Amino acid sequence: MSIVTEQKLTFTGYFRNIWTAVRTTFKGMMITFKYVYGVKSVTVEYPEVKEVLPENSRSRLYNDVENCISCMQCATACPVDCIYIAAVKRDKDSPALKTTSGNPIRLDLTQYTIDTALCCYCGLCTTVCPTECLTHTTDYEFAQFTLDEMKYDYLAADVRAWRTRVVKGA
Amino acid sequence: MHSTWASYINEKVSGASAVVNEVEAGDQSITVDPTHLKAVCEALKNGEHEFNVLQVVSGVDYPEEQIIEVNYILASFTKNTELILKVRLPRGDENNLPKVDSVVSVWKAANFQERETYDMLGVEFVGHPDFRRILCPEDWTGFPLRKDYVVQEKYLDMVVNPVHKMNIGEREFGAKHTHIKGASTSVKNYTVEAPATSEDTSLN
Amino acid sequence: MIKMEKTSFDQEKLKTELLTINMGPQHPATHGVLRVEIKTDSEIVAEATPYLGYLHRCMEKHTEHLDYRGVIPFCDRMDYLAAMNAELGWVLTVEKMLGTEVPERAQTLRIMIAELQRIASHLMFFGTYAIDLGAFSPFLYAFQDREFILRLFEELSGARLLYNYIWLGGVWNDINDEQLSRLENWLPELEENIKKYHALVGENKIFIGRTANVSIVSKEMAFDYGATGPVLRGSGVDWDLRKKRPYAGYEKYDFDVIKGEGLKGTLGDCWDRYYVRMMEMHESIKIIKQCLAGIEEGPVMGKVSKIVKPPKGEIYLRTECPRGELGYHLVSDGTKNPYRVKVKSSCFTHTSMLPDMAPGLMIADFVAAIGSIDIVLGEVDR
Repeated sequence: MSIVTEQKLTFTGYFRNIWTAVRTTFKGMMITFKYVYGVKSVTVEYPEVKEVLPENSRSRLYNDVENCISCMQCATACPVDCIYIAAVKRDKDSPALKTTSGNPIRLDLTQYTIDTALCCYCGLCTTVCPTECLTHTTDYEFAQFTLDEMKYDYLAADVRAWRTRVVKGA
Repeated sequence: MHSTWASYINEKVSGASAVVNEVEAGDQSITVDPTHLKAVCEALKNGEHEFNVLQVVSGVDYPEEQIIEVNYILASFTKNTELILKVRLPRGDENNLPKVDSVVSVWKAANFQERETYDMLGVEFVGHPDFRRILCPEDWTGFPLRKDYVVQEKYLDMVVNPVHKMNIGEREFGAKHTHIKGASTSVKNYTVEAPATSEDTSLN
Repeated sequence: MIKMEKTSFDQEKLKTELLTINMGPQHPATHGVLRVEIKTDSEIVAEATPYLGYLHRCMEKHTEHLDYRGVIPFCDRMDYLAAMNAELGWVLTVEKMLGTEVPERAQTLRIMIAELQRIASHLMFFGTYAIDLGAFSPFLYAFQDREFILRLFEELSGARLLYNYIWLGGVWNDINDEQLSRLENWLPELEENIKKYHALVGENKIFIGRTANVSIVSKEMAFDYGATGPVLRGSGVDWDLRKKRPYAGYEKYDFDVIKGEGLKGTLGDCWDRYYVRMMEMHESIKIIKQCLAGIEEGPVMGKVSKIVKPPKGEIYLRTECPRGELGYHLVSDGTKNPYRVKVKSSCFTHTSMLPDMAPGLMIADFVAAIGSIDIVLGEVDR
């Protein structure tokens, strides 16, 4: 059985119960009263005031495809398989390309798509990228109405529009 | 420690044939005969070694050897020891599940743990008071953690893996336009085919 | 004057039935998607059967095609309110198989982070338990304190709830001196706040009336069902894995193990379990202060090979998480994916105790009982 039967209530017991109830409730009310005037409000009035996230926040992904060497490390490391990459070998007689950090680019990227609706924002892909072209930005306002709009094609020309978009405080 | 326990088991329960599995890395374990499992468990709980807590019942599927191994991980909270007890059962199939005695009468913790092993691997525990699936729905077919499991196409009237969510266009493009070996654009543990008819794509 | 006749109904012949109610998957007090089918006799529960599986994502099947580092985000998502402790358990399991050495600074950081996470999880318990029983203020007080911890974790790892911070061989990012001193200056304020919250809720006569002598779990029942963590300690058993089977360097730190003593009712009731969690926060603060005093300079990541392939074998390792003991049974076959991972979750074991804790309680007491075992459905269903 889970319920224990109570003891018989005596005269003094009755008044002691009342006194304990009043005392403990009064103590609790004193604690909560301090919050009425004593504590500053911590509410962030979004969207007039926006929260600025720390520098290494793992929010929206961005890939600078000019620096990508198609090593496929991000796609292998991804635990949920949301990165789709296709690359072909460059012709022997096309000019030699290098990334900004000096690595030679030997493969032409034909497809680089990340399905950000599947992405779990774990950050494993950004840590294994050898040229650091795949990074997390601090942009957290990217909700869309359909799932198709959540598939980001980083080879498209209009991707650069939100490249430097960072949520800033008011 | 393990050899003390194995000889204790062999002496208390005849026919249990407890054998210590020596390994180079990880934990040792003791394998016992499946038909004497309940007697072994009672001997371990009520005897001098006081294994009063059953922590996990975990099943492992070995399709090459056609064996399902059920591990009972026991612990003694009074003597601060731990033991992995194994039984090896023939794998069987959908209509002929491997059977072993339920130890719910020894430790009540076995109730939910055995139901989960049945649900995930298809091991039948004879004598369980409430034998049904626990994590999957009651009318699910198949045992998910078996190595040859293929998920069913439809559950009631819902498609389990709707085509429009599988990103088939991206995967096929990647598979056709890449000359790199080991490209990871394929689905890792099951293959997906494009729909034969177009009716499935009308789901929201 | 109305003449009262003796009717033909009397106590023995009157047939009553138990009423079956569904405390459904969508319910504010079940801490997630838990469905309990209750058979009641007017207000008193006669039987309660939990139905699980509404949050089942089959993490164990997913791990079979992931590599050992890729499992860490999945471990976070089981008990999402105590993610660091779950990650620590997995990482320790794999490191024991591999035999990796973790640098000193990383070990101290791991323990500090794990104890901070324990405080955050117990604050969440405090807030939600009070709100289950009808008190609305403690919820936001607890969240205000939790906000400091989550902000610190965001600066360290990049995310507020699902961190992927504790890695094989160490931790991901280092902590700098500014963050350490900010933490050190905040700890006295937290200690004062926890004492205030205990005075506000735990000593309140209404709270005591609702939780004392409700749903008593005896020591034998706790052992039989395999209860661990605050549920076991609330029944008076001195069992804490950090003391009995120390891992990750806990043997260097000095702290007490809090047991329930039946102060306001009987031993093993809901108030005892609440009391164990509140006092455990003070012990965690003690450990964090010792970590801050003893942290050394050095690297935070040890040497781990690029492709992790543990030797063939199996291992079972359990760690003390805020809700109980989380155990990982890993079977490895020498390749880069685990062969089988089984997670022993304490919340799953505690949910199996509900049918035995329920009979005789009123429905409002049943809500208090579910709240006191502190389950998170992500861990129950995995």
